[in-house]
Amino acid sequence: MAPTKKAKKSTESINNRLALVMKSGKYTLGYKTVLRSLRNSKGKLIIISNNCPPLRKSEIEYYAMLSKVGVHHFNGNNVDLGTACGKYFRVSCLSIIDPGDSDIIKSIPGDQ
Amino acid sequence: MVKFLKANKAVIVLQGRFAGRKAVIVRAFDEGTRDRPYGHCLVAGVAKYPKKVIRKDSAKKTAKKSRVKAFLKLVNYSHLMPTRYTLDVDLKDVVTLDALQTRDRKVAACKETKARFEERFKTGKNRWFFSKLRF
Repeated sequence: MAPTKKAKKSTESINNRLALVMKSGKYTLGYKTVLRSLRNSKGKLIIISNNCPPLRKSEIEYYAMLSKVGVHHFNGNNVDLGTACGKYFRVSCLSIIDPGDSDIIKSIPGDQ
Repeated sequence: MVKFLKANKAVIVLQGRFAGRKAVIVRAFDEGTRDRPYGHCLVAGVAKYPKKVIRKDSAKKTAKKSRVKAFLKLVNYSHLMPTRYTLDVDLKDVVTLDALQTRDRKVAACKETKARFEERFKTGKNRWFFSKLRF
């Protein structure tokens, strides 16, 4: 019982932190802009949904490895990630450029 | 948050005539220029890879098989796949923007790049760079 509770709590906290980033920070949604943010080293954290195609997922992870940026695999598919961002469309990958008031950068990459 | 599209980075060209070829970034233009308002870089790559040399080959055959054909190109960042490899061959004096303006200057720069690539290939270093990418 205890482990499942902890998993649920951390997903909620990711969603909360994402909502705060959407409100107060800068971000980009979508594969092309994620790669662009990695290339010009503006991205600070990358979040990928769990149904992202594996080739695209490994490409984003490779870029992130080269630029030493953390990648978080979101516990949910692109529909859930879009909802977590407060959008009415699907989001497969997003890049956080400026976290604003959120502490998502400090807390999340630890538990990838 | 580390810039990785810098000079001497080995990349793979993804689009165009040289798709699938390995290249090395000679000069990067992150902000773009007036003519190309996007991030792009000047790359020098391998147009024709050197063939496999076996012990049985004579010296003449080895020389023929170790030839490299080079290309120079200005490529958009989104048409490149960066790799974790680097190739430190000094090409900055040879491969310049004005070398790409006229055909004969480009040919001369390609010849010089080819010579530098061949001498690097003959030392046996950077073997990944001079091997064809299989796909």
